[in-house]
Amino acid sequence: MKRRQQGILTGMPFMANVSARAYVDDAGRRLYLAKPPARIVSLAPSITEMLFAMEAGDQIVGVTDFCDYPPEALKKPKVGYSNPNLESLVALQPDLVVAPNDFLKPDVIVRLEQLKIPVFILADKNVDDIFVHIQTLGRIVGRSPKADAVAMDLRRQVAAIKQRVQRMVPVRVLYVLNSQPLITVGPGSFIDQLIGMAGGMNVAAKSATPYPRFSLEAVLQEDPEVLVFPVGKAEGIPESEQQTWLQWSTMTAVKRGRLHQIPADWLNRPGPRIAKGLESLAAILHPDSAIDSRVHR
Amino acid sequence: MVDLVSSWANAGSVLTVSRWVTVIGGLLLASLAVLVLCLQFGATSVDVRTVATAITHMFRGDESGSPSLRTSEIIMVQIRFPRVLMGFLVGASLAAVGVTLQALLRNPLADPYVLGVSSGSALGVSLAILFGIGSAVMLLPLLPIFGFAGGLLALLLIYRLAQSKGRLPIHSLLLAGVILNAILTAFIMFITSIMEPNRSAGLMAWLMGSLTAPGYPALGVFSMYVVLVLAILMHKAQLLNVLTLGEETARSLGVETEGVKKQLFALTALLTGAIVSVSGMIGFVGMVVPHAVRLLIGSDHRLLLPASALVGGMFLAVADTLARTIMAPAEIPVGIVTALAGGPFFLYLLLCRKDRML
Repeated sequence: MKRRQQGILTGMPFMANVSARAYVDDAGRRLYLAKPPARIVSLAPSITEMLFAMEAGDQIVGVTDFCDYPPEALKKPKVGYSNPNLESLVALQPDLVVAPNDFLKPDVIVRLEQLKIPVFILADKNVDDIFVHIQTLGRIVGRSPKADAVAMDLRRQVAAIKQRVQRMVPVRVLYVLNSQPLITVGPGSFIDQLIGMAGGMNVAAKSATPYPRFSLEAVLQEDPEVLVFPVGKAEGIPESEQQTWLQWSTMTAVKRGRLHQIPADWLNRPGPRIAKGLESLAAILHPDSAIDSRVHR
Repeated sequence: MVDLVSSWANAGSVLTVSRWVTVIGGLLLASLAVLVLCLQFGATSVDVRTVATAITHMFRGDESGSPSLRTSEIIMVQIRFPRVLMGFLVGASLAAVGVTLQALLRNPLADPYVLGVSSGSALGVSLAILFGIGSAVMLLPLLPIFGFAGGLLALLLIYRLAQSKGRLPIHSLLLAGVILNAILTAFIMFITSIMEPNRSAGLMAWLMGSLTAPGYPALGVFSMYVVLVLAILMHKAQLLNVLTLGEETARSLGVETEGVKKQLFALTALLTGAIVSVSGMIGFVGMVVPHAVRLLIGSDHRLLLPASALVGGMFLAVADTLARTIMAPAEIPVGIVTALAGGPFFLYLLLCRKDRML
């Protein structure tokens, strides 16, 4: 608590520039580091990917159970995920914990603060946040030049994709997170934004919640032109279950055989592989516009 | 409404053939009306009349009409009708199992999920999802088959644990069931905890209870199965009456209680396993509908059992219609609706008719 009451300006973005080594995270908490951290624990797969992308992999001492990219991340000690094991976390003697805003049990942050372990929280609301976060993390861990270059490159790629699909007629898409009961993505979810950026129109756009259980009737009425199934080694809908969608023979997506798989990690993780995910989503939605047709299945 | 019902179905009165026919006939008509009404509502503005028109056109051999009409027809025939029927069957089974178990265990808190068979089914489905086994191979619905197998295993296990010297004491049945339930639930929680959050959400949604539109072959098999087991249960209704008097009394009246108890346990378990396999855990229907119906028409099981089944069916069909439409095009778990709609109504009945609970 003490740390929060340091000034009425706490939480204002420009505070990040007050001192060279003072930062404000997405929860409005202020972080001061005397020197770049050498022992970082990452509490999200996306954060691990960001740190490796800016070549700060050596500074990572702990990751989550789900951090599997790049392969080097698998060799790092594990600390759990939504409910990390505080003992093994503390035993790693981190001088910085980078945590996501979602998925984490709320009392974990409080405990870490009580233990005087600096925590920096990232909340990714949209794709631009990812690039900002990469740059911020780069400054914090002392890898600014590389981080800026990574962010710049990603921005360029995303802008190119956007520009390419801009002229296309949006394609109606259903993103199938779970078939039975049907769960999809709605407005407010990260993937819904990606669908829009890749030149798609989410058929669940009228949903009031970001991850709704969705009516099959409404799907048939909206008549998606493409069905997208996220797949990965840890998640995704089995092939046999995807086949059950073929029974809806009047659906345009089924008639045209446009049932596609996409690696879930590329889209789910707000990290540096997002451009790759967006690229492959755009290639699925607008195959004729794809420059890189390798990712199209 | 309570007074109206009690005037023609006075509780405690002797069960006559004419009263049985009046109550069950009335409920059958009401069920039919409710089913048609439920078909009328959905996430899309498709209603019964347009579809009926489309179908008559089809039979007359006209052109099948515009593509949108064709979609309406599919929505009605392939999605909404099977789901409403499924809701009715599941609700009816849950209520019938609830009545039977409340009598068999002589416990007003008994519901279809109390004896661990449901958790066995749920664990079967969870394992299937964990190992990524699909929901269908060659149109054979795999998840329900896994669920049913899990339920059967749990049934055998509970039976083995509870029986002693060829008898099946009620208290050990209840204890074995409750404890096995806790153990199996812990396994399910473990499975959800090791899954990636994005994926365990699907399993959780399934566990919370949901009705989906099954294909017609599956629906046919399921309804035949449910109707068969329900018919056998109805046939045993008189025995339930005797059992509620206590086992000693039942035995002195010449009822072979051990055999009856085993049969009833097996029947309810077979039905519960099947229900959970297709719809997950839909709470509240199995416990509260029997009580509500008992308050209204008395506790003679020859009438109570079929009446509860019909009321349970209607209740779940209506609850699922609400679940489908309240936040359309999104859906909410039907268990939330059954608890929120059924709970207050039951409390109201309790307030009016406290004397009959005893």
